[in-house]
Amino acid sequence: MPARQTDDFGHQDRCAIVGIGSTEFSRNSERSVLTLATEASAAALADAGLSPKDVDGIVRCDHDHVTHNDLVCSLGIANLTYQGQVGPGGVGPCAMVGQAVAAILSGQATTVLLYRSLNGRSEVRFGSGTASARDAAVTVGGQGTYDEFFLPFGLMTAGQTFSIMAQRHMIEYGTTCEQLGSIAIACREQANANPAAQMHSKPLDMQTYLASRMISTPLRLYDYCLETDGACAVVVTSTDRASDTRKSPVLIRAVAQGCPPDMRGGMMFPIVMRDSITDLPAYSVASTLYARAGLGPDEIDVAQLYDCFSISILLQLEAYGFCEKGEGGPFAESGAIHRGGALPINTGGGHLSEGYIHGMNHVVEGVRQMRGDSSGQVPHAETCLVTGGPLPTGSAVILRKS
Amino acid sequence: MNFDRILPIMNDRDTAGFFEACKNKTLVYRACQSCNATLNPPRAHCGNCGSWDTAWREASGRGRLYSWTTVCHQVHPAYGVPYTVVIVELEDAPEVRLVGQLNGSPDLCAGMEMQVWFETLEDGTVLPQWEPVEKIQQGKES
Ligand SMILES: [Zn+2]
Repeated sequence: MPARQTDDFGHQDRCAIVGIGSTEFSRNSERSVLTLATEASAAALADAGLSPKDVDGIVRCDHDHVTHNDLVCSLGIANLTYQGQVGPGGVGPCAMVGQAVAAILSGQATTVLLYRSLNGRSEVRFGSGTASARDAAVTVGGQGTYDEFFLPFGLMTAGQTFSIMAQRHMIEYGTTCEQLGSIAIACREQANANPAAQMHSKPLDMQTYLASRMISTPLRLYDYCLETDGACAVVVTSTDRASDTRKSPVLIRAVAQGCPPDMRGGMMFPIVMRDSITDLPAYSVASTLYARAGLGPDEIDVAQLYDCFSISILLQLEAYGFCEKGEGGPFAESGAIHRGGALPINTGGGHLSEGYIHGMNHVVEGVRQMRGDSSGQVPHAETCLVTGGPLPTGSAVILRKS
Repeated sequence: MNFDRILPIMNDRDTAGFFEACKNKTLVYRACQSCNATLNPPRAHCGNCGSWDTAWREASGRGRLYSWTTVCHQVHPAYGVPYTVVIVELEDAPEVRLVGQLNGSPDLCAGMEMQVWFETLEDGTVLPQWEPVEKIQQGKES
């Protein structure tokens, strides 16, 4: 895809990420999501050489249980002039970076804190289905959820939905289980080098992948992301202000959000009614993002692709222009996305193997890459694509070394 | 122990007509009377042409299989595994897709002809379900 040289609101490189923070990633944090969010935020501020008193903006994810109010109170933020919220769900983090940029460039805030905190294993497990399915509610749907067309028929999790997408991709393009497996293994190899990853000490080979239990055909255990307790936070400020922070700022080259051409309402399940379920909203995100960045896929050195499932990565490799539509499987299998490949992905291990912080650990890892201190450091990397959840809408950012 | 199946809401203002029709063993989909755009999932306004003149249309009850997944990991007590979720596009309007549930893990192939049938639950709720017109003979047992 040829990149157009346009930056329609003059934001290229004008804001930067100056601090990152994470808790440990575990199966049971033994503390509240507010405590986790506070720890990650305090770590991000310390990393930036800032204090809570410097924060005047917060953007949160609509799925987070920690509110602006909770975090202001817990951290001791004294002068908040901007409160934003973005979603849905995993689309949040990259869109949150976009909203932070908007708040800063419009003068509504100078220093914006973004966070995502969840006890995704010990408290609220996404894999056990939507809230209505979990609670065994007698009646579901209504109010624009459209759940009544899906849950009564046994379609009740994100994994099942992505399985239907993977099956369709196999039908249309002959994609194979081994190709999905190569994606899971690429992420696992990165995690094996990352001491903070939940799967750090657990290698994965193709034989083990293929022998793992089927969850919903054609996706197996290792095609599914982890369930994690933990939090991540980042601090965004203007590049001008960033000159006096502790570490070298990572520039936000461009931000974008996008919708599919035929939005079908609801949250997740109605996507199976879209004209093509192998076409992600990421196609429109990519078009806007590359145009705003003045960069194309050939100029991306490393990518952190949102990976709720292995198939999510495969579809995004196509949507973000790293290969042709339908070629995601062979591209993944070629080794390009592995350590040492032409486009290493998810260099901390991603959701499949580092931890599931709903897209925010991808932003943190993107910053590590651009600072040059990732456990999966790509030599001479100067640009990093970070993407948000691929459904129901999409979001992404391009980070750049300063 | 018996667990209750998940039931569709029957009084949502945009979608109740679909499930009401099922009680009469009729399959319907929403469409725009002005521009003929289909509106699935159902809604009152046509985003294609801006018309409010939208209505339910009767479907033949035939369709083709678009995709599917066999669920092997159980997440709900009333939905024992394995079962297979099928996504079917209507013969009358292929851009309209509906979901159905088959027992077990039957052999399926994309594009195979599907026929609707109506499953009546204990409380009187009727769900439109889909099954292959011709079962695939070879391959694994379902
Ligand atoms: Zn119309």
